[in-house]
Amino acid sequence: MKLSGAAAIVGIHESPLRDAPQVHPFALQMECVLAALEDAGLQLSDVDGLCCASGDWAEGGAVESVIEFAEYAGLKPTWFDGTDIGGCSYVAHLGKASTAIAAGLAEVVVISYAACPRWWPLKTPSFDPFVYAAGPGQYELPYDPTLISAYGMFAHRHMHLYGTTPQQLAQVAVTFRQHALANPQARMRKPVTVEDVLASPMVASPLHRLDCCVVTDGGGAVVVTGRERARDLKKKPVHVAGFGAAVHRTQLSQMDRDIVTPAALSGPRAFQMAGLTPADVDVAQIYDAFTITPMLALEDLGFCARGESGAFVADGHLGIGGRLPTNTDGGGMASNHPGKRGIFTIIEATRQLRGEGPGVQVSDAEVALAHGLGGTFCSAATALLTL
Amino acid sequence: MTPHYTPVTDALSSRFWQGTRERKLMIQRCTATQRPQWYPRSHSMHAPGAPVEWMQASGRGTLFTYSVIHRGNGTTPTPYICAVVELEEGVLFTTTLRGIGDEDIRIGMPLQVDYAEAGPDLVLPFFKPAEPT
Repeated sequence: MKLSGAAAIVGIHESPLRDAPQVHPFALQMECVLAALEDAGLQLSDVDGLCCASGDWAEGGAVESVIEFAEYAGLKPTWFDGTDIGGCSYVAHLGKASTAIAAGLAEVVVISYAACPRWWPLKTPSFDPFVYAAGPGQYELPYDPTLISAYGMFAHRHMHLYGTTPQQLAQVAVTFRQHALANPQARMRKPVTVEDVLASPMVASPLHRLDCCVVTDGGGAVVVTGRERARDLKKKPVHVAGFGAAVHRTQLSQMDRDIVTPAALSGPRAFQMAGLTPADVDVAQIYDAFTITPMLALEDLGFCARGESGAFVADGHLGIGGRLPTNTDGGGMASNHPGKRGIFTIIEATRQLRGEGPGVQVSDAEVALAHGLGGTFCSAATALLTL
Repeated sequence: MTPHYTPVTDALSSRFWQGTRERKLMIQRCTATQRPQWYPRSHSMHAPGAPVEWMQASGRGTLFTYSVIHRGNGTTPTPYICAVVELEEGVLFTTTLRGIGDEDIRIGMPLQVDYAEAGPDLVLPFFKPAEPT
């Protein structure tokens, strides 16, 4: 079965909201589904496949959320995927949806997500390895590690191994903030400097507050269908040229000695399927929960050599005119981050190929990368999109 | 001080927690390859069909990585230091680092285990700078 290019993204929508007080996440998610279908020129009745993972905190559902959201939407999908591997779940869903479409198991698949952490009043409704001190977690959680401290530990190890500096980390936040200045929907629209990042309060060393993503409400949806049907729809189809996903570990004690992340598995698989190399990518959307996050991805995906992401970033390669313009909407650092941001990497990658970027737009982009991670470098999913 | 998340022990892990109450750091070893593993499992990570046995770790190790937490979960007073220690036996062990100022922390520095009462029947191992020998 030839998967590359068999499926295409035909509809997208990102909620313009960054605060949705008292809005249930399912309502926001449904708004995105309907708007993405409208973007494609399709109806809800055309949908026979659904991917969502809405059982995490502030997402409105519980463990079996794909059923809950299907019911809310009024769908009875015969193909579905509710796999939750954290923030990159939706990028992994895109790969699986493309596979299902290529195999004839589904015709029109919607991938959707929303979360409202700004007002969500409940505690975690379901299993969460970060708050579950049984089994493997019982040996770590009593020490009260925070999510951010886990990223801090990866960052400190990278600094130790390769001489990466806090200034280089800060440059990631500065670059993505620069891109957000042009995006009217972005949460943060004032420029920051490396000095501003380093002067912001330390949250978990070596990460300062401005090394962290914003926390917003938000949602998005993506509509995928087969190559043939995609030709006759409203918008220029964006083809799924390749994809890969991998899971590694959850506990900190299981981290790779060389801090290689599962992106080193997901990336090469995506490139191989697409018949492309990192040098072919015109624009990238790389999950940026914290400044260290995209840096490790740059190395694992092969955009720079191991240990050289600090210099790559400091040399301006993530900006417009750089070797790899990245997070052109401002990313999680500056545009939005409701909790599992992976879907926005697909949406912005698609907008760039369509020439619809709301922030900075790369001219004549033909190959876009959408890459996410989950947890604390626990999982990764990569998709390569082409016109 | 009682941590926010107290361990939910099970048939396997109770041996580890019994060890900490006796001021012993118990890890596992594969009986086929003699290689150590952490965290405790019912199977060998090195030869999945082989039985595993408990062994007492020396309690010495080096700092693999760390983060000084200034904004915590609300239970442990900040700042505190979460760390991953590479035990002398070769496994990575998540813990806290105590008895050191932030500015003196160096990845690779020698550390040794110590123990703290953390609740009824709960003793948590932590690490501190190794005393010069």
